[in-house]
Amino acid sequence: MNSFRRLSGIGISATLQSSLWHRASFPAVAMLFAILTTGAIPLAGLHAEQEQFPAGPRSFRKDVLPIVAKAGCNSGVCHGALSGKGGFKLSLRGYDPASDYMVIARQSGGRRLELSDPGRSLFLAKPSGGIPHKGGLRFEVDSLEYRIIAEWIAQGALPPAEGDPRVERIEVLPKRVSLDVGQSQQVHVRAHYTSGDSRDVTRWAKFDSTDNSVATISDDGELTVTGHGEGAVTAWYTSKIAMGRVVVAYPNEIDQATRDEFQVRNFIDQHVLEQLERLNLPPSRPADDATFLRRAFLNTTGTLPSAEEVRNFLTDSSNDKRDRVIDSLLSRAEFVDYWTHKWSDVLLIDGKRLPQPAVQAYYQWLHRQVERNTPWDELVYDVIVARGSSLESGATNFYTIHADAESMTENVCQAFLGLSIGCAKCHNHPLEKWTNDQYYAMASHFARVRAKGWAGNPTGGDGLRTLFVTSGGELIQPLSGSPQPATPLDGEPLDSSFQGDRRVPLAQWLTSSQNTLFSRAIANRIWQNFLGIGLVEPVDDLRTSNPASNEELLAAIANYLVEHDFDLKALMRAILRSSTYSLSSRVIPGNEKENRYFSHYYPRRLSAEVLLDAVSQATNVPSRFTRVRLRGADFKDTDFYPEGTRAVQLYDAAVVSYFLKTFGRNPRNVTCECERSNVPSMVQVLHIANGTTIREKLADDRSITRRLLTENLPAYGKIEEIYLATLSRYPTDKELQQLLPYVAGVEGQQHQESLEDLVWSVLSSREFLFNH
Amino acid sequence: MLDLVGAGRVHTCNGLTRRDFIKVGTLGPVGLNLAQLLEAKEQGAVKASGDDKSCIMIFNLGAPSQLDTFDLKPDAPAEVRGPFQPIQTVRPEIQISEIFPRHARIADKFSLVRSCHHRGAAVHDSGWQLLQTGRVFRGGVESPHVGSVVSYLRGRRSDLPPFVILPETMGRGGGNIPNGQAGGFLGKAHDPFALMADPSQPKFKVPDLLPPPEIGTARLDRRRRMRDIVDSAVKDFEASEDARLLDENFHTAFRMMTSREARDAFDLSLEKDKVRERYGMTRFGQCCLLARRLIEAGVRFVTINTFLTVFDEITWDIHGSKPFTSIEGMKNIVAPVYDRAYSALIEDLDQRGLLDTTLVCNLAEFGRTPKVNPAGGRDHWPQCFTCYFAGGGIQGGRVIGESDPIGAVPADRPVEPPNLLATVYRSLGFEFETHLSGPSGRPFPLVDLGYPEIHELF
Repeated sequence: MNSFRRLSGIGISATLQSSLWHRASFPAVAMLFAILTTGAIPLAGLHAEQEQFPAGPRSFRKDVLPIVAKAGCNSGVCHGALSGKGGFKLSLRGYDPASDYMVIARQSGGRRLELSDPGRSLFLAKPSGGIPHKGGLRFEVDSLEYRIIAEWIAQGALPPAEGDPRVERIEVLPKRVSLDVGQSQQVHVRAHYTSGDSRDVTRWAKFDSTDNSVATISDDGELTVTGHGEGAVTAWYTSKIAMGRVVVAYPNEIDQATRDEFQVRNFIDQHVLEQLERLNLPPSRPADDATFLRRAFLNTTGTLPSAEEVRNFLTDSSNDKRDRVIDSLLSRAEFVDYWTHKWSDVLLIDGKRLPQPAVQAYYQWLHRQVERNTPWDELVYDVIVARGSSLESGATNFYTIHADAESMTENVCQAFLGLSIGCAKCHNHPLEKWTNDQYYAMASHFARVRAKGWAGNPTGGDGLRTLFVTSGGELIQPLSGSPQPATPLDGEPLDSSFQGDRRVPLAQWLTSSQNTLFSRAIANRIWQNFLGIGLVEPVDDLRTSNPASNEELLAAIANYLVEHDFDLKALMRAILRSSTYSLSSRVIPGNEKENRYFSHYYPRRLSAEVLLDAVSQATNVPSRFTRVRLRGADFKDTDFYPEGTRAVQLYDAAVVSYFLKTFGRNPRNVTCECERSNVPSMVQVLHIANGTTIREKLADDRSITRRLLTENLPAYGKIEEIYLATLSRYPTDKELQQLLPYVAGVEGQQHQESLEDLVWSVLSSREFLFNH
Repeated sequence: MLDLVGAGRVHTCNGLTRRDFIKVGTLGPVGLNLAQLLEAKEQGAVKASGDDKSCIMIFNLGAPSQLDTFDLKPDAPAEVRGPFQPIQTVRPEIQISEIFPRHARIADKFSLVRSCHHRGAAVHDSGWQLLQTGRVFRGGVESPHVGSVVSYLRGRRSDLPPFVILPETMGRGGGNIPNGQAGGFLGKAHDPFALMADPSQPKFKVPDLLPPPEIGTARLDRRRRMRDIVDSAVKDFEASEDARLLDENFHTAFRMMTSREARDAFDLSLEKDKVRERYGMTRFGQCCLLARRLIEAGVRFVTINTFLTVFDEITWDIHGSKPFTSIEGMKNIVAPVYDRAYSALIEDLDQRGLLDTTLVCNLAEFGRTPKVNPAGGRDHWPQCFTCYFAGGGIQGGRVIGESDPIGAVPADRPVEPPNLLATVYRSLGFEFETHLSGPSGRPFPLVDLGYPEIHELF
């Protein structure tokens, strides 16, 4: 061994350098190096290894490839690169065992393997340092890895066979563990094979932690707790992913009164409470009526309650007044506008891509669906199978935007399943389970969709494009040179005798009540709208390795949707009625720092459109939208939007508005919630403070200040009116006392200025700018 | 805990007590409270080493082709060498592309690094993350832009924010992941101030920097006092990072609004027409000029995005096919604007004696494929590209590293993004032992260990 170290001196230093290079993106390799140099054996010791790897036939697929993967040989930076490394090219992370076998055993005149003397095989001598290797030392001569590969070669280097056992699933053990900060836990990975047996593969699994602020995990599977909360670790082995949970309770002492104040009203509260107790987090107190009212209005309809509505609600002493206001909000016209606007982000309705007639048809189709409360599964089904004229059948425009089968596949997955499968277009997804075959099998559903008419230039043409389905045509998978049989991602392949529109079975699979990805994706979006953050964040990133902060709750609300036939209003009602939704945003000792488990409400800046509408509504002066941006730097004037149009009623994001741009509207360039930003920036503050939006509204004859100027009200009454119209509450005595000197006892111009300054002050306060 | 603020940077000898440290160290897992850090600075508790140093980062969004700009291969086969001829520069040993004649005249001022490469994916977004933060984001950890780090460790130097992005933060790329132009785990308080305007427009001014004319000092003051009354009533916001940030932003905004120095810095009409034209009356040209003014007025770090997105502009992203740019588009539109503005910036900084203390670094997310594609363009290629540096203690007129005969991989002296950022930090006078506080207080070095600066540049 020592002599080997000397021999491979070059190899070791190259490893050092390469490991350090990898550290940013591939810490696993750096960790591997640490294991190799310290000599620490990560698993339970040689005894267990020998038990798991008794003498016997070695399989290329089952035994050799996982070693190659763990050692990083077929990673994207080494031989897995598109052009390989040093003339030796493997498939990325081993997705193509047959080709890998050919390369290893047959290419270059077979010199990579020496059946009669395995140790002289390049395939063994290079990674173990016997011959200089640019990729450095990957495993030692006396390692288990070396032994297994040597045995495979000695046994004749048998190729992968169709009948080889495949990994059916893997599991992470323990599945859930409760630990304290600073504690560690060895995680084990078990692979279950199609042959029915199973074995420990911890040594060749790759690990990752989904939340480093809760726990980190080393390359050999040792988990270390770094903070409080619920974290997850993922293990990856031969394209399979599994997850284990770690629960780290907060060190709180919670009194009974605090617990008792949280009343379980429905199943949502039950799940939230269970998690809060698991994590030892105290729930905040319930929000008061005024806060609840403002919150429910903003979340459900994107509008503020009027001063009168606030007054009536606060004086109403009936027990069911909150439930009644919820029902009222769910049936308003503003509800339809607001949710059409929300789904327009998902469906990418935008004039930079479509001419105005098509934008209108698309938007109006969507508006009608929301108005009818079309169940979500039906709405999506209609998008997938849409055909006919883009101006009559608005949903066909989804195809116009994503014109080819690949693009349709990716955007359908992103919009309706929260899956980003774009990576699998060229190779197996490096982080997820999706393979290149699955990608093209999915895309085959769209292979026969065609269109004629307007060709897609958004700046010209009538936008009339007719979508139809042909009876022939296939999509060729570039890697195999032949089409994949149409198969939904995790579903069954379409019968080869199927003659109809392939999109129909796809839409059936997609929107099926069995498809938990589908119900989870929409349930998470609804939750995020009302609670400020999704159970999964980012809200449209539902890959397996990005678990929900409360998996049981997400499963429950997704299931609730299924049970209610995807009636979105039913879920909205359940959320709005829960105690969880109406918790105060004021933190109490013990829950100040948590921002994932809903122990209190999370204040969020109003979204761009809702904020602009709130300013217009509170000041009583509408905004105007008169210019539209075309593709590139072109603009054109439009009189399409009459005065009084609210920002959430705009058909698309191409309508020019400095306010909306500055406050982070979704520009609808790609299907992604990440395009929208609610982060408060300096530029926004400057615009609120000095910008034309508020200034023009204050100067308008219709504004609230002008009205109050002429109204016969005492000064405190005017302050009250302003508070009710903006903050949806009465001012406190203290606020009145402090503000009165500015407003009372002044006349004429001065009076007007003082009212304007007060409105400015309120509109620029955080209480106005946030939903809280 | 002191490590979280920066090793060796905080002393207890200037009135800051141990109790203050505990407050600083426990103020939430993400970032330091800005006010406290500023307070500490005002008390002289944070050492001001390298305080006179600044940086202008020109980010060549879209990714220029190394083979058509700074690393030509005239002897390579036609499908590799592309349409442009090399030209001689003032440094006999350095040749660059004919599309940059003005660069050629100042080649003694900047130094090229021709062996840059990275291992991130060949999508714009991951290159943006790597080149501006030194890391690809993983495990929920978003690394800060180097300008945000400067903001965090050094704070303001004047009434202006420490870190400014011109003309606005870059748009999304195809990968739908963060673009690296934010404070990341240091907190949104260290996000850059983004101008959100085109300084080449005739009536350019910073949007909304000044109160409307009818609002005099007295009214502005009254507004501020009334706002304090309204805003202080709410105790619900203390736990919300966004809400705290909005409050800090309001204070910063009022400081800028009421500072003549800050207002003048953004006022390009104070420049002679001749100077403005020398930079070119283009968005990028006037951004370069504005960057110089901001540095003069005390901004520490300016990032200029040469473009806003790669989707609907003529950019460096020369795939050749629509909606992207053709190689002719680069030659006729992009290169002349860029060449003029960059050379004007370097000459101007030099003439004003600012070049020694101002690093100008030109970075991009990757290079382009050695072989011209069927559309006559080149596609993404992280395996080899050129970045370059001037000023800030960098020796000009050098070439570091070289690529192989077709510009496909580094043939010598490979350089990765963290090496480039280490070079920026070194020029700005930072000590590499400094650690930042990541999520849960996990310490992050400025750049990952094992990536030294490119010492041959100094």
